[in-house]
Amino acid sequence: MTGGTAAPGILLGYQLPEALLGGPTAELVTAAERAEAAGVHLLLLGDRPAAPPDAAGPPAAILTASVLAVRTRRIGLVVGAAPAYHEPYNLARMVASLDHISAGRAGWLVVTGPDPAADANHRREGADPEVGRQARAAEFVPLLRDLWDTWEDGGFVHEKETGRFIDPARVHVLDHVGPALQVRGPLNLIRPPQGHPVVLAPAAEPLVAAEADVLTVGSPDGARAARAAAGSRPLLGTVTPFVAPSEEAARDLHARAGAPASDQEHAVLVGDPGAVAQRLVDWVERGAVDGFTVRFPSPDAMAAFTGLVLPHLRGAGRFRGAYRAATLRGNLGLARPANRLVERLALAADRGRS
Amino acid sequence: MSTERELHLGLMFWATGTHAAGWRHPDAVADAAYDIGLIQEVSRTAERAKFDFVFLGDRLATDPALQHSNPAQISRLEPYSTAAAIAAATSHIGVVVTANPTYSDPYSIARLLASLDRVSEGRAAWNLVTGADAAAAFNFGRDAHWDTDKRYDWAEETLQVVRDLWDSGAGPDGTGARRIVHRGRYFSVDGPLDVGRPPQGHVVVLNAGTSDRSRELGARGADIVFAGPQPTLLRRKEYYADIKARAARYGREQQVAVMPGLTPIVAATTEEAVALYDRLNALLVLDPDQEVGELVRAGGIGEGHRLNLGSASKVFGVDLRGCDLAAEVPAETLARAGTSEEGARRLAEITRLTRRTVDGPCRITYADLVHITPAPLSHTVVGNPEEVADMIQEWFEEGAADGFNIYPAYVPGAVTAFTELVVPVLQRRGLYRKEYAGRTLREHLRLPVPPRGTAG
Ligand SMILES: Cc1cc2nc3c(=O)[nH]c(=O)nc-3n(C[C@H](O)[C@H](O)[C@H](O)COP(=O)(O)O)c2cc1C
Repeated sequence: MTGGTAAPGILLGYQLPEALLGGPTAELVTAAERAEAAGVHLLLLGDRPAAPPDAAGPPAAILTASVLAVRTRRIGLVVGAAPAYHEPYNLARMVASLDHISAGRAGWLVVTGPDPAADANHRREGADPEVGRQARAAEFVPLLRDLWDTWEDGGFVHEKETGRFIDPARVHVLDHVGPALQVRGPLNLIRPPQGHPVVLAPAAEPLVAAEADVLTVGSPDGARAARAAAGSRPLLGTVTPFVAPSEEAARDLHARAGAPASDQEHAVLVGDPGAVAQRLVDWVERGAVDGFTVRFPSPDAMAAFTGLVLPHLRGAGRFRGAYRAATLRGNLGLARPANRLVERLALAADRGRS
Repeated sequence: MSTERELHLGLMFWATGTHAAGWRHPDAVADAAYDIGLIQEVSRTAERAKFDFVFLGDRLATDPALQHSNPAQISRLEPYSTAAAIAAATSHIGVVVTANPTYSDPYSIARLLASLDRVSEGRAAWNLVTGADAAAAFNFGRDAHWDTDKRYDWAEETLQVVRDLWDSGAGPDGTGARRIVHRGRYFSVDGPLDVGRPPQGHVVVLNAGTSDRSRELGARGADIVFAGPQPTLLRRKEYYADIKARAARYGREQQVAVMPGLTPIVAATTEEAVALYDRLNALLVLDPDQEVGELVRAGGIGEGHRLNLGSASKVFGVDLRGCDLAAEVPAETLARAGTSEEGARRLAEITRLTRRTVDGPCRITYADLVHITPAPLSHTVVGNPEEVADMIQEWFEEGAADGFNIYPAYVPGAVTAFTELVVPVLQRRGLYRKEYAGRTLREHLRLPVPPRGTAG
C-alpha cells in the first residue's frame, strides 16, 4: 500500500498484440524488456483455444508467460484462461508454477465469455463446456485459492540434518464438493510466493468478480456499475490508443487501421501524446477507474505508447515508471492473502470450543 | 561402430533426486523443486553432455506420507511451464513433458505440446502416461480410478486426436489449417489447432507403462518406450524383444527406441562409489521396527513401503528385528535368507551394488538387507566410470536397451558426476555423440518429420 501523500499512480497493463505473441521470441522479449524498463505493471497474455481456419495463433499463453518470466525481473505476467476448458487442479498448478518461476509476478485473468468455436474443441465424455459455464467459473475461482492454500507457508521444511522434508501438520486435504466441481487435494505444489497469484476478472461477471483481486471493465466511460462492484479493489478500464507525435499523424494511423470506434468494450484514443495522456489522467482523477489495460493494434503501437505517452504520465506525477515491490501484488498495492484454509480451520475449532 | 544403432541419453529430473534421501546429500539442493534457475542449470549441464532430452515426470496427486520413502512425489512445478523455462535457457536439448490424458482433453494436450514445440523450436516431447496414482481420480471429480482398459481406450483415442490436431494446424506460412471434425467414442473435436502445426510435425511421443495395453500402445504409437525396472538382464532383453516384436507388427521396429531408467552411482574409484552409495542409504529415515509390510497411505498415492528390519524380515523370511544395523550378518543367517529365490536374488543384488558378500572378508550388513527391500524405481549401478560405461555398453550391445533415462540420485551433484565422468568414456568408446547432429529432438533421435496426415 502506498498511503501517505504520494499521488495515486495509474496502474498499467499491456495487452500484448498477437503479432508479438506469435512472432519470434527475441522480438517478444525485447518488447517485454522495454515495457519493464518503463515500469509498466503487467503484461496481459490472451489465450483462446480455437482458431478460424487458415490462421495460426500464438502459442498457449502459459508457455509464453513462462519464457517471459525467466527473461524479465520485475514486470507482472498475467495469463488469460477460461474455467470452461481447464480442470481446476491442472490450472491451479499452472498459475502457481508461473508464480514460482517468476518469483511472485503471476496473475490469472478469468475468461468467462461464451466461445462456440472453442467449445467445439473441448467436448468429451462427461464434459460439455457450454453447459453451466458461469456457475463453473464462479465456483472455480475460490476453489483455486483454496488449492493454493492446501500447503501452508512453512509446509515444506527441507531440513537436511533431521531428514524432515515437510511438516505434515501444515498440509490440508480440501475435499471440495460443489455443484459443478469436486476436488480432494491437496495440491502437489508448495504455496505460491504471492500466496495467491493475482486474480483478475471482468466486472460484468458478478459472481466471478466477487472473488477477484482486480476487476476489468471495457470503456472507462460507463464504468459506474463496475466502480461500485470493485469497491476499493483496483479497476482497470480498456483503451486502444492511436498515438503519434502529432495529432494529424495519429488520425492517419487510426484511419489506416479502419478507424475503429469506441464502444462498450474499449475506448479508442486518437491524438498526440499529451492529449492521450490527459484522457487517461482525467478518467483516473474522476475516479472512474484506477488504471488501464492497453490494447495495441500492433507492436509499433506498443512502442509508441511506451515512448511517447508514458513520459507525459510520469511528468504529470501520475505514473511511477519504476517498481516499488518485488511481486505483482506489491506493485498493485495488494496485500499477500492470509491462508483461507487455516482461517477456516481456526474458525471451526473456535466453534467447536464454544 | 559396425552397428547403425545409436545410444540415446535422457535425464530424468526429480528435484529431490531419485534416491529417497538424495536431497539430504551435501551436494544436493534440498528445495530444488521450485528453483527454476537450478532446473535450468541442470538442463544446461545435460546439454553440454549432448543428452537427447531432459525428462519431467509428473503426478496428479500428492501424499505427505511419502516424505521419507519417496519425497520426489510430493511436490513439483507443473511440467509445461517448467519445460518452457528450460527451453528458454537451452538451445539443443529436447524437453519431455509428462501428461496424463486421463485427466485432460485432447485439444488441450495437442495445443500445449505444439506450443512447447514452437517455444523450443522443435524440441518438445510428450511422455504419455495413464496414471500411477489412483488418488488422482479424486482431484478430478471422479469417485474411482478407471481400470486399465478404460484408461488405454481413452488414451488411444486421445493420441489419435492429438496427432490429427497437430496435422490440422497451419504451417509456418500461415496456410494449410483445416478442421478435423472428430466424432469419436469419447471426444468431439472440431479443430483446427489454433497454434499451428508443431515445428517437428508431430511432437515426439514417449510411453511409460507395464501392462499389455501399455506395451501395445508404445509399440504402435510411441517413438520411445520408457521401460521400468526388470530384475535381470535376461528379463530386460525379453522386454526389449517383446516391444520390438510388437512394433514390427506395425512396421515400426526401427522407429521405437527402448530406454530403461538407470541410476548411476559413480565416482572416480569403485571404493568411492560404494562409499557414496552407502552414504546415501545411511541418510534414509527408517520406519519404526514394529511396522511391517506395505500399505496404501492416506490419499492413496503409491504403495508406501515400510523401511525397517521388520519389512526385511518379511522379504528374507528370517526374523531380523532388533539387530544392530551396522553389524555384519552372520553366515548362517545369510544362508537362511538366501534359501528362497527372491532372497537369493536380493543378496546377489546387494553384492553387485556394495561389493559386500555372504562369505568374503567384507560381509553384508543388516542395513544392506533393509536398503534392498523397496521395489526399485530403476536399475542402479555403482562403480567407477569404466564400470558404469561397461554396463551401459553391455545392455546396449546385448539388445536390452537403445539408450537410458539417467536418474540422478541427487541434484545437481549426481548429474555432474555422470556427465563429467561417464559421458567422456562413452564418447571415447565411440558409443555416444560428441556433438549434436541437428537442433530438434527428432534430429537427435534420427526420426524424420512426418508428412501431414500420416497419424498412426
Ligand atoms: C518407467 C516408468 C515411468 C513412469 N512415470 C510416470 C509418471 O511420471 N507419472 C505417472 O503418472 N505415471 C508414470 N508411470 C506409470 C505408467 O505410466 C502407467 O500409467 C502406470 O504404470 C499404469 O499403467 P500400466 O498398467 O500400463 O502400467 C511410469 C511407469 C513407468 C514404467
